[in-house]
Amino acid sequence: MNDQISRSQFWRLTAIGTIGFFAFWYLARVLHFAPPQFLPMPHEVLAKLIDLLYNPFAGYVLGDHMLASLQRFGMGFGLAALVGIPLGLAMGWFRLLDDIVTPLFDGLRFIAPVAWVPFAALWFGTGIGGPTLIIFAGAFPPCLINAYRGARNVDVRFLEAASMLGVGNFRTITEVLFPAAVPSIIAGLRIGAGLGWMSLVGAELIVASSGMGNLIVRAQSAIATDTVMAGMIAIGVVGVVIDVLIRRLERWLLKHRNA
Amino acid sequence: MVGVTTVVVFLVLWYLATTVTGLVNPSRFPRPNEVWAAFSFIQTEGYGNGKLYQHVFHSLQLVAMGFAVAVSVGVPLGLLMGYSRRAEALINPAFLLLRPIPPLAWIPLAIVWLGLDDGSKILVIFVAAFVPSVINSYTGVRNIEAPMMEAARMLGVKGWRMVAEVLVPGSLPMIFTGLRLSLQASWTTLVAAELIGALYGLGSILNQAAQDIYPAMILVAMVLVGLCGAATTWLLGQLENRAMPWRKGRVAA
Amino acid sequence: MATIQFSDVTRVFRRDGKDFLILDGINLTVQDQEFVAIVGPSGCGKTTCMRMAAGLEFPSTGSVKVNNVVVTEPGPDRAVVFQQFALFPWKSVHENIDFGLRSKGLGKHEREKLIAHYIDLMNLKGYESAYPHQLSGGMQQRVAIARAYALNPHVLLMDEPFGALDAQTRVVMQEELVKLARKNPRTVLFITHAVEEAVYLADRVVIMTSRPGKIKEILDVKSVRESEDWDQHSKIEDVMDLESFVHLRTRIWKSLREEHAGTDH
Repeated sequence: MNDQISRSQFWRLTAIGTIGFFAFWYLARVLHFAPPQFLPMPHEVLAKLIDLLYNPFAGYVLGDHMLASLQRFGMGFGLAALVGIPLGLAMGWFRLLDDIVTPLFDGLRFIAPVAWVPFAALWFGTGIGGPTLIIFAGAFPPCLINAYRGARNVDVRFLEAASMLGVGNFRTITEVLFPAAVPSIIAGLRIGAGLGWMSLVGAELIVASSGMGNLIVRAQSAIATDTVMAGMIAIGVVGVVIDVLIRRLERWLLKHRNA
Repeated sequence: MVGVTTVVVFLVLWYLATTVTGLVNPSRFPRPNEVWAAFSFIQTEGYGNGKLYQHVFHSLQLVAMGFAVAVSVGVPLGLLMGYSRRAEALINPAFLLLRPIPPLAWIPLAIVWLGLDDGSKILVIFVAAFVPSVINSYTGVRNIEAPMMEAARMLGVKGWRMVAEVLVPGSLPMIFTGLRLSLQASWTTLVAAELIGALYGLGSILNQAAQDIYPAMILVAMVLVGLCGAATTWLLGQLENRAMPWRKGRVAA
Repeated sequence: MATIQFSDVTRVFRRDGKDFLILDGINLTVQDQEFVAIVGPSGCGKTTCMRMAAGLEFPSTGSVKVNNVVVTEPGPDRAVVFQQFALFPWKSVHENIDFGLRSKGLGKHEREKLIAHYIDLMNLKGYESAYPHQLSGGMQQRVAIARAYALNPHVLLMDEPFGALDAQTRVVMQEELVKLARKNPRTVLFITHAVEEAVYLADRVVIMTSRPGKIKEILDVKSVRESEDWDQHSKIEDVMDLESFVHLRTRIWKSLREEHAGTDH
């Protein structure tokens, strides 16, 4: 924009920014912004993170908590994609379906996913159904909307060609709309994964006896702040990994299409 | 018209399923009349420490505060990072380190620091609303076309005038996208925070109703959450239309 | 005195670790109130020359001076008219022209007078409160030209200003610009790839080679224009019919064609 700085300058400033962040953190402790049990030092958090890999907290080691979370995430997100994408594509093709579903969808869309927790608990107890419902509530809208938009934005000429060739509805959706909508669908998956992961954490904060959300809320009751922070970091890292994986998928798919 | 029909059909099915046929167990999902009764009850008698308007008002207050602070810090920061590569390099690390942590994951930490009072809720709402504001303002500035920026510099526009008369108006569409996302995140986070522990607010109604196993009240609270979210989003949309009067039809040849 | 001086200017562009020589030893002086057009094949660096005079880019070696002062940054003394208009969509026509004037520290009354004058001159009367997207391309470019002229710049830099317009509008704009240039002579550096446009508008035409750009030839149009009295014809098609015009145009075309052949286009 205004200042053009060289590559090396950019990275130097980035390094300063990173060091500055940690320096500020340490400084906050040194200056007693908060008592030690409320604000552990960065290396203490890291140590705790490693410790949690071997020593259980709230019943399980870090790995097992993470596994439980990922299982629930997988179910909820998988369901959201499996229902949302075909439905979105179908809505993009069948006007009537669009007219029927959209009002219902718009009505439910503004309800925050976490608001489903009471019903989830009521219907599924502490089983895996509860968190799955909430993750579904979070991940479903982006999957649906993006598949829908992708289908609607397909170049009309493809559709004209398909109808000229006498291709039926089902094949039009699967062989014309779907491939054309793939970029939009993947974008929807990425957003959905992010929202789903967040909804999972929220659900586990309230109605779970294992998992990352449960881990940090138990740590909070015990005022084990280093564990809370370690948990937050682990949650963040896995969230990034999921996002990166989906981006990889996106790149692989795009390469495939242009080949 | 199909829309209205769908809603009506849905309501009828709901009534049939719960009341007439008893297909759905009322302890699992409330009947329409029960929901209405719960709604009236909370309006007149109150539920969970207060009447309906008190809860709604409290939630709105917290969202407004967290949102306002997040946006007043986030938008200028995003604009700065977009305009100055130096600022971007310095601030990005902190941002990238904190961004992956989902806002809801901040709730336990916020409770440790600020207890179960309003403060911890506002903190979490701030964290949730902050990120989209920054990112979208940043993108907004970066998307201003190069010729326009060059024209501004050519005209001798500097400093505050550059910000107020070029950067902000040029980024306004994206800034509003960010605001909408921030608002959405604010509501989601507030409901979660209140569900975990609060005296007042829509989330606290949900919590209380869940504990009392009062499905009708759960539904009332859920619908209210949706309505508040929709209403505030609508308001933002109105603001958006008014803020950008230059985006209308074609006049001359 | 407003002159533009290119002294031994080269411009090297670095991309992906490789160096590309865009301009190679440009020496050119645009005299006070002279209208110079630069033509050349795509990629020859003619726009880069203008951008260096504007202060948007800088030479790798050599210097670019306006009024004997080395150019270090963009400014209203070197007004630019961009091909893409670069008007601010959130400002009305009036506000767009006013925007640059405000940096010059002029009083409100003075600014209003100037704006009214140029709106009238550029046939924009009645559109003062319109927003850019409500106007056609030609109208928008008129606003951009008004904006540039209103700054009373030492130097006017125009980067293919009519390139984004349709053929008919283009012709109208060329006629208007000629009238304006004769009435308010200024030092102008005009970049175009349309040879006829260059011959019609300019006092001198600079022909550049293909990349790396060097000055191939400079043709004096003004003396021909004056001796053949082109200005008596108000319509552009009448001027373009004249033998003297056609002769110059063809000469430039031939010169450019050699450049195209050389670059394998």
